[in-house]
Amino acid sequence: MLITQLKARDTIASLTEGKKVFIINCHGCKEVYFPEKEAAALQKELADAGNVTGIMTTDYICNPENMELRLKKHMDEINAADAVLVFSCGVGVQAVSAYLEDKPVYAGCDTCRLPGFQGVTPLEYDCGQCGECYLNLTGGICPITACSKSLVNGQCGGAKNGMCEVDNNMECGWERIYRRLKEIGRLDVLKCPTQVRNYATDKEVSQQ
Amino acid sequence: MENYTKYKLKGRDELASVLTGTDNLFIIACNKCFKEFETVDEPDCDEFEKIVSEEGKTITGSAKVDFLCNKVQTERKLQDMIPEGTEHVFVISCGLGVQTVADMVNVPVYAAADSLNYRGHHGMALTKKSCDACAQCYLNVTGGVCPIVDCSKSLVNGQCGGAKNGKCEVDSSKDCAWEKIYRRLEKQGRLDEFLNQPVQMRDYSKADHKFVTEYVKSVRENRLDGYYGGVHPTERKEFTEHLPLEKFPDPETVVIPLSMHAGAPANPVVQVGDTVKVGQVIGESAGFISSPVHSSVSGTVTAIENHGHATRGECLSVVIRSDGKNTLHESVQPHKGLDDLTPDEIVEIVRDAGIVGMGGAGFPTSVKLKPAKPVDTILLNGCECEPLLTADHRVLLEFADDVIFGLKAILKATGAEKGLIVIEDNKPDAIELMKEKTAGYDNMDVVVARTKYPQGAEKMLIKRVTGRKVPSGGLPADVGCIVSNISTTKAISDAIQKGMPLIERVVTVTGEKLKKPGNYIVKIGTNTKDLIDYCGGLTDDDVTIKAGGPMMGFVLSDLNVPIMKGSNGIIAVETDHTVEQPCIKCGRCMDVCPMELSPLYFAKYADEENWQGMKDKNVMDCVECRCCEYICSSKIPLVAKIKAGKNAVRGMK
Repeated sequence: MLITQLKARDTIASLTEGKKVFIINCHGCKEVYFPEKEAAALQKELADAGNVTGIMTTDYICNPENMELRLKKHMDEINAADAVLVFSCGVGVQAVSAYLEDKPVYAGCDTCRLPGFQGVTPLEYDCGQCGECYLNLTGGICPITACSKSLVNGQCGGAKNGMCEVDNNMECGWERIYRRLKEIGRLDVLKCPTQVRNYATDKEVSQQ
Repeated sequence: MENYTKYKLKGRDELASVLTGTDNLFIIACNKCFKEFETVDEPDCDEFEKIVSEEGKTITGSAKVDFLCNKVQTERKLQDMIPEGTEHVFVISCGLGVQTVADMVNVPVYAAADSLNYRGHHGMALTKKSCDACAQCYLNVTGGVCPIVDCSKSLVNGQCGGAKNGKCEVDSSKDCAWEKIYRRLEKQGRLDEFLNQPVQMRDYSKADHKFVTEYVKSVRENRLDGYYGGVHPTERKEFTEHLPLEKFPDPETVVIPLSMHAGAPANPVVQVGDTVKVGQVIGESAGFISSPVHSSVSGTVTAIENHGHATRGECLSVVIRSDGKNTLHESVQPHKGLDDLTPDEIVEIVRDAGIVGMGGAGFPTSVKLKPAKPVDTILLNGCECEPLLTADHRVLLEFADDVIFGLKAILKATGAEKGLIVIEDNKPDAIELMKEKTAGYDNMDVVVARTKYPQGAEKMLIKRVTGRKVPSGGLPADVGCIVSNISTTKAISDAIQKGMPLIERVVTVTGEKLKKPGNYIVKIGTNTKDLIDYCGGLTDDDVTIKAGGPMMGFVLSDLNVPIMKGSNGIIAVETDHTVEQPCIKCGRCMDVCPMELSPLYFAKYADEENWQGMKDKNVMDCVECRCCEYICSSKIPLVAKIKAGKNAVRGMK
């Protein structure tokens, strides 16, 4: 699950200048985020300038089989274009470019990372997927995501009135952890040995 | 597909130390997401239980939950789940699930597993790492091959020089990404462009979780507005929303089905050769839940025979050849003023006029107006949340006074205190007009609802406006509400003020495959093909035609079917060329189901013909809004499977 942001107009203009383009929009993860209105406005400008051979709005182009079935219906428009401009996450752009190998395929969006949004219904940034869950030592509040500095051995000491020194809109994660532990009567876990974070790659961790 | 495991059980030693000092444990395991949907239990749960008993601890119980990170659903499931006497809760899930539970229960919660970091596995490309979401997409300069993911060193300015025979020096099983990029660009004749690129600098500050959090939060918070779930399909109402109503030319022949409503089909009361007039009864109501049917033209009955029907396949219908004169039947006379009519008289007029729910379901309105329980609120449903359709929107704009009159009649018939006209915020002109029209009434108001499909579904509308939840298997009257469609309300006004039964309606004929879309006042019984032809025909043959909207409409394989009381639209849209694939447990269907069901099980159980399982998962509560099918990343035709399940469950009784 990824979210996308439109590339700057200048960037898209420089990619499409003097070219006929076929446009593909992917709305698969739209209920999470897709800049639908902005993308439509930009595409209208391109179309008004007479440089668009066709626009296809579809979903889950990351599913190569179904993407191919749908693209086949638009092959004439794609062949008439100098390039294909895809508004989707990076997975979608690569799926299309792998299928249309001979055609320049451009990305209309930048893809933003969703660390902690790997679950299916993200509401908040909650889990950094560090591979060594600290929640047992912190009363179920994640120090990786709740602390700006991702400290795993207690507060940095910089908090003012309970607010983080890096981002004063954010509560100090370690004060929250302390309160939670106190509530559940587990302040004793703060006496645990010093934690050392393991930065091994995902692949290494999954193979451990 | 690769098992895209999100977590793995912590090691024995670590678990033993966490278990120290705990007892009376409750164990919650999350059924993993993004994996093949099997019924085989996750081994982690048994393994953990074994470790717990070996450590000599008591287990008060355990539960396996789908998508533990879904806060709304998890909160509901957790109620009454954890037995008394539980002192500690252990959660086997990724970090999201553990934190969700820790926020909701007041005993200590522990993680029995570590989340695995599968950065780069996204979309449906779960078996392959392909996008690292760096927030500065390089694919435009690399011919669509990602240098961040495909190059072991994530170099963005060309190869490191260490590749041997095209293989990466870090991992000799991998092709050098930069050689792949070079070959791709060479093939496309883009080498010059590529070699003259300025040096790329990677900006690591762009992957800023705060910005992402704010984005997602704003979108997700709005998603839960009013009621759980729902989707935002592209509206595409601009084809017709500004087009005034036009009277559709009188058809030469009408085919009027004797069943255009829920319940028993009407009994024909005319014979072949009879002369009929506009508004004359041609079919009598055949029971409590039934409705009479009237002629929409004057002319001669030429046949009473089975005829194609948009939703039932075939239906006994009365065929009438019009004489083109539209002579009114004697019975079509204005009734007394609203002040002089008793509630029972209003209900009788509505019943005799053959008025049924015109949003599609066709439930007889007279039955609705005599609810078994006291009703305090009437909701006029002006949401029209289906994409493409604009029929109700135009009725609100062009028959505002009739709608208000109809609402007054419903309020009088039911004795309800308040009438609320609910309109989605994509119809600002209708909102403004109705606010003006209701300004003089203390018992009427306009409610503006933020657009979200399926807001117009009865249960969602009630939840959104009043916060009341219609119980499983219940009716709106159970929570003191009646919901009436806009066109239906206008029909009630016509029945009282003109004495005119329901013989015509507003139909939106639209879609990207139609040459000349529009909103038409169409006589019941008009042929669908005539409508399409009148609208300039279709742009090409690769088209799907539906009666109704794109979400809940019925696919018409044969256009030789008549317009009926519930036909709010005829749409010609692009055919979806996809094939069904196995469920990957992405959880999107559960995220969008407004009835808070688990549609993924319906697909699975329907394939296994496990009807009891479907019943246990409350398949009968499904409103068939098609949100799950719309969002399904595997393109599973969920609604067809659900309908099969519902039929089987009905047969079980």
